[in-house]
Amino acid sequence: MANYHCPCCRKISSDPHDLARHFLGQTDSKHKDWLKTKGLSYAKLITSQVEFGNKGYDTLAEVLEKETKVKD
Amino acid sequence: MSEYSIIGKPTTNVDGVAKVTGEAVYTFDMTLPNMLYGKLLRSPHPHARIVSIDTSEAEKLPGVKAVITGKDTPGGKYGLWRRFRELADQEILATTKVRFIGDPVAAVAAISEDIAEKAVDLINVEYELLPAVFEPLEAIKDDAPLVHDDFENNINATRHIEWGNVDEAFKKADYVREDRFNLLTQHPAPMEVHSSIASYDKGSGRLTVWSSTQSPYFLQLGLADALKMREGNIRVIKPHVGGGFGGKNSTMPDSVNAAVLSMKTGRPVKIVFNREEEFSTTEHRTPMHLSIKIGLKKDGTLLAKEVKIITDGGAYTGLGATTLYLAGTWITFPYKTPNYRYDGFRTYTNKMWASSVRGFGAVSALYASETQIDRAAHDLGIDPIEIRRKNAMTPGYEAPGQYKVESCGLLPCIDKIEQRVKEKWARLDKDEGIGFAAFAYMSGGIFNWIDTPYAFSGAMVKVNIDGTVDLFTQASDIGQGTNTVSVMICAEELGIGIDDIRLHPADTATTLADLGAWGSRETLMNGNAIKAAADEVRDKLLDVARMKLGENIVYDLDAKDKRIYLALRPERGFSYYDIVKDAIKENDGEPLVGIGHYTPHRKGMVSPAYAMGIMGVRAKVDRETGQVEVKDVIVAHDCGQIINPLGARGQVEGSIQMGLGFGLCEDLPSENGMILNPSFVDYKLIRTREMPQIELFDVPTYDPEGPYGAKESAEATTAPTAPALANAIYNAVGVEFDSNVLRLEKVLKAIREKEEKGKGKGRR
Repeated sequence: MANYHCPCCRKISSDPHDLARHFLGQTDSKHKDWLKTKGLSYAKLITSQVEFGNKGYDTLAEVLEKETKVKD
Repeated sequence: MSEYSIIGKPTTNVDGVAKVTGEAVYTFDMTLPNMLYGKLLRSPHPHARIVSIDTSEAEKLPGVKAVITGKDTPGGKYGLWRRFRELADQEILATTKVRFIGDPVAAVAAISEDIAEKAVDLINVEYELLPAVFEPLEAIKDDAPLVHDDFENNINATRHIEWGNVDEAFKKADYVREDRFNLLTQHPAPMEVHSSIASYDKGSGRLTVWSSTQSPYFLQLGLADALKMREGNIRVIKPHVGGGFGGKNSTMPDSVNAAVLSMKTGRPVKIVFNREEEFSTTEHRTPMHLSIKIGLKKDGTLLAKEVKIITDGGAYTGLGATTLYLAGTWITFPYKTPNYRYDGFRTYTNKMWASSVRGFGAVSALYASETQIDRAAHDLGIDPIEIRRKNAMTPGYEAPGQYKVESCGLLPCIDKIEQRVKEKWARLDKDEGIGFAAFAYMSGGIFNWIDTPYAFSGAMVKVNIDGTVDLFTQASDIGQGTNTVSVMICAEELGIGIDDIRLHPADTATTLADLGAWGSRETLMNGNAIKAAADEVRDKLLDVARMKLGENIVYDLDAKDKRIYLALRPERGFSYYDIVKDAIKENDGEPLVGIGHYTPHRKGMVSPAYAMGIMGVRAKVDRETGQVEVKDVIVAHDCGQIINPLGARGQVEGSIQMGLGFGLCEDLPSENGMILNPSFVDYKLIRTREMPQIELFDVPTYDPEGPYGAKESAEATTAPTAPALANAIYNAVGVEFDSNVLRLEKVLKAIREKEEKGKGKGRR
């Protein structure tokens, strides 16, 4: 099973969506700054969730899946 | 015959006589020797930078003993979300900028309230006005002014909850509908305003604070953070409290400023808010924009739910971040929801901050979900009771990763309401309608944002040589009857009378930590702690009695009716009082003391137990005026084993009164951040004579986590009242609303619009 490690803290998740949920739940600068390095904005990801659907989390999960998978 | 001697028996409040005779002392009533009176200077602007503050004229006024501004404070920020320090965002006095009309900027201590008030008027503050933002949908825009510089797009807190496969479930649904609601606020409006007295002893460096608070422990921690003191050097005492309803959880400017002024003067300082301050500058129910989408099968089975909430948080956090989480949780209750997605956003705005009020997120959330499910039932041609029955939670229901419902009497409650409504409301008059709403609520929260290392509740029981008992608990009676419940539980466990017990409540120096009165937690959590403490003593007494009887361990003993005896041979036993004497004398004088504590474990993320129920409301609408008359209410409520039926009934009635206020008339309109109705003349409450008849059916279950199986009984029925009423109005005159506060002008407008548009039943 794939494991996804948060690049900013010790959180490990088996699902990139779950890790995205963790990520956007953090309000510290470390997590927000990491998003900036990937060309993402915390505020924009969050506010994209205002409408029905899961756009913000889907976008971040896609990035996290590529960037943070450690092992199968 | 009941297995209990005291539990479940209607019992008058242990402090009832003191309260009705006026002998009960509230902080508001207290005077200490050499005491000064404090007043606050508050910002007249919703958002402004403080350029300068000149206090010289105020200081010269005879009778003024101290004037303080932000620079005189220790500079610590504080708030209830201590675990996430960036959300502890309050200051004692604003140091650089003010964020709402009413933000305190200076404080005065004087020999009288009049002089303190005159001195406040002599303080000159120069402000540089800043652009302000008042609406949450505006606040999250990129170009909105920032209320707190570090919070992009004014997003104070977010919550995302998801389980199942929401998008797939919506595809499979036969029926999908979306509704949008704008839920307005409500003030707790307690009889006693915020009041505190602080007394600092310069010699010892210790501070004592008497305060009208819902949680002495929260206040102790808030003061410690704000004043940069060790919490053990701060003693908080809660005298009688004249109501809280959620508005007295946070550490507010009365207590912290009284403390700083006392430290400066070396004299006790009392600060009491006036009613205008109470309405304009204390916490109120969180207003929110709420979008809700549901997908159902043709037969009414709920497949998926998606919810988006943006709350108008105001200037600071308070308990508003918890409200955000809870609103997204309660909106799934009390139905089985196999697929769910929630996004919640709490925004900062330049208004007084919104927080928890009775029902803590459930009142607004259920207004939306319980009117929406009625609309869906109407569209699908399903009876509104039947659709609720079809989706009702049952014992053992679990929402993955969130909560598990152990005991659940919802289905029996639905059966009871259905039967009673058929009997009682078989015939309706013209323009009368019946509406229903189901509900659930927590029995205390499993949240530790306060970051306590202690158990959530602790209690101590000391038995004296004459058999009298001293019960020490920090649980907060704020008028809801916790003192009585505490004593009843202790008496039941020890098999003695209520009169044998002296209660020592809510003093942080003499009692073990308890998180306070919020989320309907005291009966379950404090009750478990008291039960455990009393059990420890009881076991010691039973051991002594067993020795005296010479019986071996297989023979069980009971403690009841002031006797300790063999359970199967009650005639063989001793007086409780004799056993107490023997226990102390024969054990080298060792005191008979028991300590108990409670913290929920392995109960999910929300609550250890849930009350459930359903409410029916019958209302009549006057088509000429739009006036809504609530005729009567029937409610079936599963709150587990009821400890005190008198108290439980009172709580249900009070909750319905507050729910009707939310539904019909209570609101705090503002203009450019200024509250427009900060008085009881302009803020309309439901009065006693406007209350409908209430028929209450207790449908008890036994919850294994509660003391004797008890659950919540203080707030749950606030939430269904307004949606049941809105559904009744629709069924009476065919108009529906996407907001609460259904004043006659709003109802009349909707009736007129419907008439102009022609026939048919509203917008469903």
